[in-house]
Amino acid sequence: MTARSIVLLAMLLNLAMTGPAAAHRLKLFVTVEGNTVSGYAFFIGGGRPQGVAVTIRDAANAVVHRGTTDDAGGFAWSAAPPGAYTVSVDTGDGHAVSEKISADRFAGPAAPSPAAAPAEAAPEQPLPQKAAAEKAADPAPAVVCAPPDPAALHREVETAVDRALARQLRPLIEAQAQAEGRLRFNDIMGGIGMIVGLAGAGMWAAARRRRTDTGTPP
Amino acid sequence: MAHIPDGVLSLPVIAAGGAGAAIGLALGLRALDEREIPKTAILAAVFFVASLVAVPVGPSSVHVLLGGLMGLVLGVRAFAAVFIGLVLQAVLFGFGGLSTLGVDTLNMALPGVVLASLARPLLLGASPARAGVVAAVVAALAVFGTAAGVSAALALSSSDYVPALKIILLTYLPLAAVEAVITGFVVSFLARVKPEILPVLQPPEIRP
Repeated sequence: MTARSIVLLAMLLNLAMTGPAAAHRLKLFVTVEGNTVSGYAFFIGGGRPQGVAVTIRDAANAVVHRGTTDDAGGFAWSAAPPGAYTVSVDTGDGHAVSEKISADRFAGPAAPSPAAAPAEAAPEQPLPQKAAAEKAADPAPAVVCAPPDPAALHREVETAVDRALARQLRPLIEAQAQAEGRLRFNDIMGGIGMIVGLAGAGMWAAARRRRTDTGTPP
Repeated sequence: MAHIPDGVLSLPVIAAGGAGAAIGLALGLRALDEREIPKTAILAAVFFVASLVAVPVGPSSVHVLLGGLMGLVLGVRAFAAVFIGLVLQAVLFGFGGLSTLGVDTLNMALPGVVLASLARPLLLGASPARAGVVAAVVAALAVFGTAAGVSAALALSSSDYVPALKIILLTYLPLAAVEAVITGFVVSFLARVKPEILPVLQPPEIRP
């Protein structure tokens, strides 16, 4: 077409590239700390939906929690028994997003993982030997403090590790959620290339059709 | 907003939107002769890029639609341009669902096409300034046409959406103003330097 249109297109392209690389899509960031499901919804490129509906459903698709997002688009639900949930945010104007969280994201006393069982059983075996050795060495017990219950200790350590990991991983998961929806220059250029290719194919088809219609090359 | 994701609309709405968009696309492709292809492709590319850029407005976020501009410059071929732009946005960036492509195409293309053809008597032989003013009105009304289309699609799908529709109209207000300014300037510029680009400025008989 004309050079002016191409200049116009280039100007608009330039505007799009230098402006906020923003997009029009709602995303959801969800994290689990202890038994609290929390997170926030955000529009890629800026903005958080405020006061919109948040729904949490369990694995059987029954609604277990309804709420609204706060001023920062955030929400939290702390009464979660461990399990698989789906968190959905719907702004009501055609933006909706949902995110699944699996049961193994939960931790804490309410959910002893199967892997914890052998670990708990293991320290019990040396106990009789230890007790027998103590009895033989000294009739007066030299125990200063009671040996901690291995199961309780295990739970405590697990909870502390989970909490620390959740705290450390949160920014990473957040960054990942942001990066997933970023507009990439390559994709934009690929899309424009696709349009140019389609136009070329259309013109080729039109030229062929006209040649067969008239029988003479244009 | 105008990119409705999967799983929001009900099946009848999706089917009706798909049928409407298919008719529009068929008309658009029929009108797409060799001379019109580059123009359509350039506007499809502009639409593809420009509607990726969204700005937050209140509880939602908006982006330019360019429906009025496409209707004025492309006529019924706007369907083809919008459809290609939306397919690429859905596939590359996940904006809007694939199942809602028909509804989205109809919402974004139809108001501009209809309003541009209605404005034709006002634009025939108009001065560039007047053409710009008429184009601005067409663009603003096309934005509200799109808002009405989105609202109707949502309201027909589920009555849960009805309370939020007021928000949609509010967020579209600034958008309509911005689109009116952009389209007004572009059309008055084109009418001054290259009036043959705008089919709505020409009497119908000299159009191919």
